[in-house]
Amino acid sequence: MNDKRKSSLKVALHGMDGRTYKTMVMYLQGPCKGAAAVVEDLDAEVDIIDADSINAKALLEQKLAENSSRPIIVLSLQELKLDNALYVRKPIKTVEMLEVLSKAEALLAVKQKSNENVQTSKKLFINTDERKKTSKHQTAMHLDEGNFNAFIGSIPGLDVNDPKQFPNASYNPKEYFQGYFQSACLIAQTKKQVLHLNSGWKSLIIFPHNHEIWFDADDKQLRSFAGLPIKSLSGAGMSLTPASAHALSANRELDKFHNVDAFLWKLAVWSSRGRYPVALDIDRPVFLKHWPNFTRLIVTPHALRISALLIAGPRTLPDIAETLKIKPQYVFVFISAAHALGLVKQAKRQSDEIIQPPAIKKNTERQGLLTRILSKLRGNKS
Amino acid sequence: MSQYKIIFTGPVGAGKTTAIESISDVPPVKTDAAASDMTKNKKASTTVAMDYGIMNLAGGEKIHLYGTPGQERFDFMWDILTTGGIGLILLLDNTRADPFQDMKFFLDSFQSFIAKTNVAIGVTQMDLSDKPAINDYHVQLQGMGLNPPVFSVDARVKNDVSILVQSLLYSLDPELEE
Repeated sequence: MNDKRKSSLKVALHGMDGRTYKTMVMYLQGPCKGAAAVVEDLDAEVDIIDADSINAKALLEQKLAENSSRPIIVLSLQELKLDNALYVRKPIKTVEMLEVLSKAEALLAVKQKSNENVQTSKKLFINTDERKKTSKHQTAMHLDEGNFNAFIGSIPGLDVNDPKQFPNASYNPKEYFQGYFQSACLIAQTKKQVLHLNSGWKSLIIFPHNHEIWFDADDKQLRSFAGLPIKSLSGAGMSLTPASAHALSANRELDKFHNVDAFLWKLAVWSSRGRYPVALDIDRPVFLKHWPNFTRLIVTPHALRISALLIAGPRTLPDIAETLKIKPQYVFVFISAAHALGLVKQAKRQSDEIIQPPAIKKNTERQGLLTRILSKLRGNKS
Repeated sequence: MSQYKIIFTGPVGAGKTTAIESISDVPPVKTDAAASDMTKNKKASTTVAMDYGIMNLAGGEKIHLYGTPGQERFDFMWDILTTGGIGLILLLDNTRADPFQDMKFFLDSFQSFIAKTNVAIGVTQMDLSDKPAINDYHVQLQGMGLNPPVFSVDARVKNDVSILVQSLLYSLDPELEE
């Protein structure tokens, strides 16, 4: 054993009956001169397993499966060759036992060092530039009913809130910058290549590895561009090329990096202008895969309520508006943004259409309390 | 008058104290002490009992905000703290070696409370380490049969903490009006 070690190696004994257990405790104290001390399993640094016990195989498999940093010592009458455990043949000879305990101690030190390195390397990996990407980590922007129309815009001659006009209240993302951007991201992701989307307007570079884009335009400019059908802007000007060495240079302004999802969400909101994606059948239920990362997105009116409702079960778009007693445009715009991110899908299973949406349990007293908390939180926005 | 509370939990350094501070109407009662064990590498002080803040509602009602101590040796307090709780906010530190393991540990520890109420998860420090991504958390959660809100959160930003708590409330009842 290493003389530098001031305390005994803490070991846990497994697969031993009471008598063997006591004998082993005394053996480690006596002949092994306290090189190891038996402790509770939770506090142990090393496991010692009696391979000749009835449940030895299961015990060993379990300990190996746990893949902990604790070395394992196996005691056996049979000669064993184990890849991930140390072995002492019975009857145990003190010299051999001390030698194996010493190996276990060395192994433990290596494993502990390796664990520390994992922690350290994770910390070293922290990229200080990431913090400077302020657009990427910007907190959410809330839209309420009051500022929705001014922010989103509208479609002349179309009332998206009139059920009779629902069949005309869809839009095709492929006809807008949104569609080109989505295709470009898909290609960049598939090729695992940094690509330059040339729109004839502003420079946009897609970095698929980080799920980021670099884009030099403010929201006001982007909103106007996103809302115009590309054919009216001469779509032939749109092209995708591998990014040049210059584009990849590290000198780019960090505050112009955006998360792909947050950017796409914004594009879809502005392309939709309160309409729903043409790919969805408005009369069939849709479901939400999971909650969008709302703290980094534009939060459209009632978006949190719509998400909670859809997480509870699939519903049609008009049913969502009816259940929550809100204008369909708020449902359509949220669905468009979530659909762009691949979060909303049409429920295809027959059972989804047959099963009625789950009824929401009413608890008036609690509802009052939760509403008051919400009101407080909304008043507290920073 | 009834006592209502929201519980904030998560590992050491995840931002529970800061998050409570962000939405509390009174300076939170902190029970910090100089860190002396494994937490000392994370921060100078840590919560050894619990944090406590208050949200004053219209009509004089109060919502009590409790932060659990992050260290596992205080887990005997968790059952006491959750009694009568409205729901759970779980904060996870994305710079830790294995945030998924942290998530599983806390979801398991509060399993019965979550089953009776609900949980919303905030991932902090994503501006220092953006991996794992939020989608990776969803993959892990769906493997556990859960689908709660999971958001990037800067615990210092009131808006982030507010959205996280709002999502918890809507999860409890989507028909709450804005």
